[in-house]
Amino acid sequence: MNLLDIRNLSIELIHDEQNILAVDKVSLSMKEGEVRGLVGESGSGKSLLAQALVGVLDDKWLVHADRFHWRGIDLLRLSIEERKALLSRDIAMIFQEPMACLDPTTAIEDQLTEAIDDSQLSGFFWQKNQQRQAAAIKLLHKVGIKNHNACLTSYPHQLTEALCQRVMIAMALARRPMLLIADEPTAAMENTNQGQIFRLLASLNQLKNMSILLISHDLENITHWTNTITVMYSGQFVEAGTTAQIFNKPLHPYTRALVDSSPSANLHLPAKSRLMTLPGSIPILQHLPIGCRLGPRCPRAQQACVKAPSVTNFHGHKVSCHFPLIPQKKTLNKVTKGAC
Amino acid sequence: MSELLVVKDLSKSYRHKNYWINKKTTTVLAPISFSVDAHQTLAIIGETGSGKSTLAKLLVGAEAASSGYIYLNGQALQSGSYKQRCQHLRMIFQDSGTTLNPSLTILQLLDEPLKLNTPFDELKRKELIRTTLQKVGLLGDHMNFYPHMFSGGQKQRISLARAIILQPQVIILDEALASLDPSLRSQMINLLLDLQQQMGLAYILISHNLGIIRHFSDNIMVLSQGRVVEIGKTSDVMSKPQHKVTQKLLMNQSFQLKPIRR
Repeated sequence: MNLLDIRNLSIELIHDEQNILAVDKVSLSMKEGEVRGLVGESGSGKSLLAQALVGVLDDKWLVHADRFHWRGIDLLRLSIEERKALLSRDIAMIFQEPMACLDPTTAIEDQLTEAIDDSQLSGFFWQKNQQRQAAAIKLLHKVGIKNHNACLTSYPHQLTEALCQRVMIAMALARRPMLLIADEPTAAMENTNQGQIFRLLASLNQLKNMSILLISHDLENITHWTNTITVMYSGQFVEAGTTAQIFNKPLHPYTRALVDSSPSANLHLPAKSRLMTLPGSIPILQHLPIGCRLGPRCPRAQQACVKAPSVTNFHGHKVSCHFPLIPQKKTLNKVTKGAC
Repeated sequence: MSELLVVKDLSKSYRHKNYWINKKTTTVLAPISFSVDAHQTLAIIGETGSGKSTLAKLLVGAEAASSGYIYLNGQALQSGSYKQRCQHLRMIFQDSGTTLNPSLTILQLLDEPLKLNTPFDELKRKELIRTTLQKVGLLGDHMNFYPHMFSGGQKQRISLARAIILQPQVIILDEALASLDPSLRSQMINLLLDLQQQMGLAYILISHNLGIIRHFSDNIMVLSQGRVVEIGKTSDVMSKPQHKVTQKLLMNQSFQLKPIRR
């Protein structure tokens, strides 16, 4: 059974004349114990998607989906309160920029103990404070902070970025979630610290069988840590498959360009040679192209691309393109099928 | 002298104000020496606090060095001589969104260095701005726009235009590629490489991304706690790192280079 199954999720920004479709029919499914990467450049709607998942979008946004199942429960049929209770129990999220997300006026101890709910504590009310403190220290040990006393008494500005991120992860772990959504957990971080945070997430995944949705703008950064990857571009679904499929045999021109444009992935390239790139830049929300939004930048674009393509499935490797990059014979088949 | 930029025993240390008798000093940058040729790129890597950004600041003259000399084309640069320095040594900063003045149009932004450093009249300046914008892949008509009308990649191009408009010889890129999206980043790398070929620019690249460094640079310098621990050709250092710090830095990124096949 899938842990999370979303089909055709759309997110609209409410606007005077016409609503702007920021995320256009994106499907996402996750199995238990899986690490899935969600890759997209800025403005691709990946953070929006994550925020819609945990339900923290405000009333400027309209969210609708064809299917939204969490462990077999249809969330669309539940009332808002029931949905909130269910999601807040099972899903936790780490936001971008840990320094900015922690309260600068409160010590770490107070912030961390606040995240531990009463149902985990046993005993009388005079014992609860002590238990809470013990639980906070345990959480800090779990995320690899050994010097818990110094950490608990300090304020966020006294800690380094990586330590703040660890505290954020500890807060997310407080309710023992089944799914952890990590929104760019290592943005603007040193390499050494990046490695530490990713290793921590990987160990949590393996030891606690926690599923992780890893959001990043850089494909090359997360390929080592993920089982499967979903790629998005400008609010549209592009491609989904296992890491090896995406990285070694990308079917969509956009994924192909992402892989080709990274110098670390192409070690055979001679130094100082030109890199493969897509022309132009990412479209802004006010001026989105119709149909496939990659259209104006795509090297394989043809007339059919003014209509948004539907998702095709090649042995579990889903791609949304009229002209995917598959061996010649298969392409012909598909085109004739489309013509009939 | 054949080298374009020669740095000799450059160092920086701060003196603590409080101690009267035994004055205490903190050394941020131990004396270092290196040289860069035209058409060459020197990459600088190191952890936080290793003195990378301090070195960049010393080179452009944003801070005065405690000791040492910088020679450009065999001529020593004085610490106060901004006129001479800013024509030949330019810098691009990390976050292009905040380094452009939001209340000035692109024309005014690019006009400022020309007004201060060249004897050109208004028509000539406008012509130069137009050609420079075209050189970095923008349109000449973009000069009447304000910075907020551009996307992140375009803003970075404007920073580049501001850097090359005075025909400099050395450009310092302090994490200038880190905040860009991957597809725009490779566009920018291509543009920088083209400009290097056309104008014979020398780059000093400060970056974390070893993939870019491997692709982009000729020489590499590894800093740790203000000291140079390793310097050499990029291919040599990358394939056979000698020092522990270098090995650690390479180790931490090696996982990015090879995705596991599952």
